[in-house]
Amino acid sequence: MLIDSNAYIGHWPFRKFEYNTLEALSGRMKEFGTDVSVVSSLNGVFYKNTQNANEELISAIQSKRAYRDRFIPFAVINPIYGGWKDDFKVCSSTMGMKGIRLYPKYHDYDISNPACIELVKMSRDKGLPVVFDLRMVDRRTSSWMDIDKEWSLKDVAPIVRAVPDAKYLIVNVANSTALSAEDTALFKKTALLMDSSGRNMVDWTDLFKRFGTDHFCFGTQSPILDYFTGLLRIESLRENEADESTKELLRSGNIKRMLGM
Amino acid sequence: MLGSRLMGFTSKEEPHISYDESVKENWMKEVLKYRKIDAHAHVDESNYKVEVNLDYADRLGIEKLMISDFLRPHTEGPPDDFRTRNNFVIKCMKEHPGRFIGTVALNPKYQKESLEEIDRCRDAGMIGLGELYNQVKINDPLYYPIIEKCIDINWNIMMHSPIGHSRVALNPGEPKNISLPEDFADIAKRYPEAMFQFAHIAGGIDWEYACKVLKDYPNVFVGTAGSNNEANMIDFAMKYIGEDRLVFGCDYGFYQGVGHVFSAKLTDAQRKKIFFENISKRLKKGGLDVN
Repeated sequence: MLIDSNAYIGHWPFRKFEYNTLEALSGRMKEFGTDVSVVSSLNGVFYKNTQNANEELISAIQSKRAYRDRFIPFAVINPIYGGWKDDFKVCSSTMGMKGIRLYPKYHDYDISNPACIELVKMSRDKGLPVVFDLRMVDRRTSSWMDIDKEWSLKDVAPIVRAVPDAKYLIVNVANSTALSAEDTALFKKTALLMDSSGRNMVDWTDLFKRFGTDHFCFGTQSPILDYFTGLLRIESLRENEADESTKELLRSGNIKRMLGM
Repeated sequence: MLGSRLMGFTSKEEPHISYDESVKENWMKEVLKYRKIDAHAHVDESNYKVEVNLDYADRLGIEKLMISDFLRPHTEGPPDDFRTRNNFVIKCMKEHPGRFIGTVALNPKYQKESLEEIDRCRDAGMIGLGELYNQVKINDPLYYPIIEKCIDINWNIMMHSPIGHSRVALNPGEPKNISLPEDFADIAKRYPEAMFQFAHIAGGIDWEYACKVLKDYPNVFVGTAGSNNEANMIDFAMKYIGEDRLVFGCDYGFYQGVGHVFSAKLTDAQRKKIFFENISKRLKKGGLDVN
């Protein structure tokens, strides 16, 4: 089974995407053998009121019966915007969202903001994973109107330290994965996954040694990044680096465990 | 067909729509079945290790890598520097026969020494210039004698491409002599018989911008290397540059280099051209038959 832990629909204001609808994403999934995709709305990065994006996402998934079995919706919540607690409640109950995505860089708050910590604790209490990206797009080639800020893995550490018993999914690990010894130990014992889409997911032997094979999963960052590279990183692992059972964990086993599937 | 070159589809075969189930069960068989030349690779003793290059090349079915030890940005790049770097490339070629195709670093500010370096490196089995860096712009008159010599011996000329004006203002971290797409267009027009290679559209430049600028310059190949594997880059480049001018490369970003070509809607014949045939034809003109 293959589960993409990191896909989107919606628009990016600065560049046209080709596979940014559920229909187009379904086509890519079929083409590359992906059974299920975790999906959220890119519009939620830019709408001031992110709940509109969540409503659009649910509406899109409900538009076809086939979508309900193939897409797992994650909500975008902005914890410094009015009414966010209601948004979380609606998304996690009525809408049936299975996780939340936070965008501190785009929504302009610190990851240690008390409201962010409170939201992560609320997610923890509901058993919902919380997603952070290290970057959405490559800042080098981004628009002059886009943010010019990327994270390394250590930038996520403050929230993991603050709420170590939450579930985390860190996507597009494009930059350094260096952590202090204390934070490495913390990440290792936390329910935390990193997806395979980021450019710094290179030295798997080292990554497995530092974090364990149970801390990684397949992800595409589609439609922003190409669909195949995240899969190639897993499929090209040699037998002595990852046997078939380990590859299955990466393809779907680890994310299934996190989602309680 | 009207507009066929702009569309980039000169092959009659339909692009891949879906892989069959057997491919999905063994992706690596599909990846390894295509012969590949990495037209943008580097070696040195710290950041671009030989054994790492070969490990990924073996893993992903890259037969040969066109390597250079480029002059670093913000350095003067005197003859001693480029000779030492080229010597390291020659050493790598000797230690791994058949795997590395050496390309020459030089600095046209030192014109006599650079012209001599071409002869010295050619005698040592190297072919082509690359990756030329930011010491001098590609369309600076200092380059003219170098380019004319490359025309005489049918050498490919691969020059770094910049982040440039991606965020409108010229990237402040880059050297002032960075070669912009417009500079490539300018020199390609001056020397239509020269063979240029615009490096790594996945290297941080606004690739849509670059492809649009370079659309009408048939003597400029465009390399697909770089770490920024944004979706649709190859499909877009197919529309503007076309299947006969795109060349596969990694620039040490091996997964992205291979991955985004496989992600693009390409025919089998188009993949073969991009992965291998386009650059091998140029190498053959210069005297190296990789077949």
